[in-house]
Amino acid sequence: MSSASSLHGRRKAKNAVMMTLCAGAAGVGLAWLALILGALVYKGLAGLSLSVFTEMTPPPGDAGGLLNAIAGSVAMTIIAVAVGTPVGVLAGTYMAEYGRFSRLSTVVRFINDILLSAPSIIIGLFVYELMVRPMGHFSALAGAAALAILVIPVVVRTTEDMLNLVPNALREAGTAIGAPRWVVIRSVAYRAALSGIVTGILLAIARISGETAPLLFTALNNQFWSSNLNAPMASLPVTIFQFALSPYEEWQQLAWTGALIITLTVLGLSVFARSLTGRKL
Amino acid sequence: MKPMLSPEMTVAEPVTGKAKIEVKDLNFYYGDSKALKNITLALPERSVTAFIGPSGCGKSTLLRVLNRIYELYPKQRAEGQVLLDGENILDRSQDLNLLRTKIGMVFQKPTPFPMSIYENIAFGIRLYEKLPKSEIDGRVEQALRRAALWGEVKDKLDASGLSLSGGQQQRLCIARTVAVQPEVILLDEPASALDPLSTAKIEELIDELQAEYTIVIVTHNMQQAARVSSQTAFMYLGELVEFDRTEKIFTSPREKRTQDYITGRFG
Repeated sequence: MSSASSLHGRRKAKNAVMMTLCAGAAGVGLAWLALILGALVYKGLAGLSLSVFTEMTPPPGDAGGLLNAIAGSVAMTIIAVAVGTPVGVLAGTYMAEYGRFSRLSTVVRFINDILLSAPSIIIGLFVYELMVRPMGHFSALAGAAALAILVIPVVVRTTEDMLNLVPNALREAGTAIGAPRWVVIRSVAYRAALSGIVTGILLAIARISGETAPLLFTALNNQFWSSNLNAPMASLPVTIFQFALSPYEEWQQLAWTGALIITLTVLGLSVFARSLTGRKL
Repeated sequence: MKPMLSPEMTVAEPVTGKAKIEVKDLNFYYGDSKALKNITLALPERSVTAFIGPSGCGKSTLLRVLNRIYELYPKQRAEGQVLLDGENILDRSQDLNLLRTKIGMVFQKPTPFPMSIYENIAFGIRLYEKLPKSEIDGRVEQALRRAALWGEVKDKLDASGLSLSGGQQQRLCIARTVAVQPEVILLDEPASALDPLSTAKIEELIDELQAEYTIVIVTHNMQQAARVSSQTAFMYLGELVEFDRTEKIFTSPREKRTQDYITGRFG
């Protein structure tokens, strides 16, 4: 009897220790996150005003905004998504539909997983060698290309995963009423997987919106407004990088504000993506 | 001249009626394993034929050969002949999509497409026929009426097909199949995922549909086979053990294995 109760006591004690360790680890992780976010909101909000969205990046010591950086980020992101999404969706479709049972799919999946976890700076260097050097100058196009290469593996992966979640019974049903394969894919499989595929694209946008390294080697930066895709273009991450490292107070403030804008954008995209996945068609 | 059933094609004494589908010396393989062994039987036109047997006996496999849906997967192949109105559908030159408009199929689990009730049915019609909207409307209504679903959905044709109950979804799938005006309808355990009331409705529907269509139903439920079919094929381990008029199978089967199965001694 007494040995049983002492066993029980020991187990309870062990449980308490483990729970404390786990809760502590969770607490430490969350605390840092809260600190970072808190600092970001505190320092970023201080500089948030309409002029941030209406004025260009200023010279040192002057007041200004982030308009050219925001516009550059938006422009390069749009091009990257416009290029990367079709390639990614089609490749994912090959792997989940046409090439479901083929060896090539296994190979592509493996390479895609490597690409997915490749450091983005390598992508930047790759595009630098491929586009910037031959062209002789940095350009928004090269920046967009680097971002597109980052978009592709994310979209490939989610498209394949989401199409794999579509029950085979649904494909059989489409086939059984005489629909050709591509009609089954387009009208049945895509529709069933739509919210998931869109979520993947949104997550890809979230992923590239904070990328700095690939842009440093490609689009570089531009202190002025530029709508020339064949010339260097400003972007939020690179501007933050440059301004945060500078000794000028106005620049540092803009860097905080820019970081807050990116964070809020990514947060918004993630929440939107979640609401899409949660919703049943 | 369409082929008539002759005694040597059936395992038992001839089942009356003109043959719509004749299966001759059919063997089927999943990779190296043989799932159907020398199946020969004839399915009479405009009547209901049931395939019964324990799990893994090959009844669903046989059904899946009839519209060649197995072709979706690699390493599955059929040898022998399956004649639809005398034409071998296993022939390589067959247009599979066209074949499947002639031989419709309804699955065990309801499989409405992720679109509206109306679109679920119009989808199949539009695949092969260019019709004005008004005519498609008519065909959709006709199909839903035939599947005894019109009354329940006529006011919400734009609602998602997935919003219907299981039984309604299954009738939607039948309507979808009927809408493309097939000649044969294959039913793969169409009521096994449904409650008794929905099952009764489906069975009633099968009874009505046999006036126009050749129907083949795979079922685990022997009472259901007895209720809805005119002929029953009992299969076991990939072989066709016995094929005869349903009442004969269930009252005085010739084979001991059939007897054992229908009395619940195995399977």
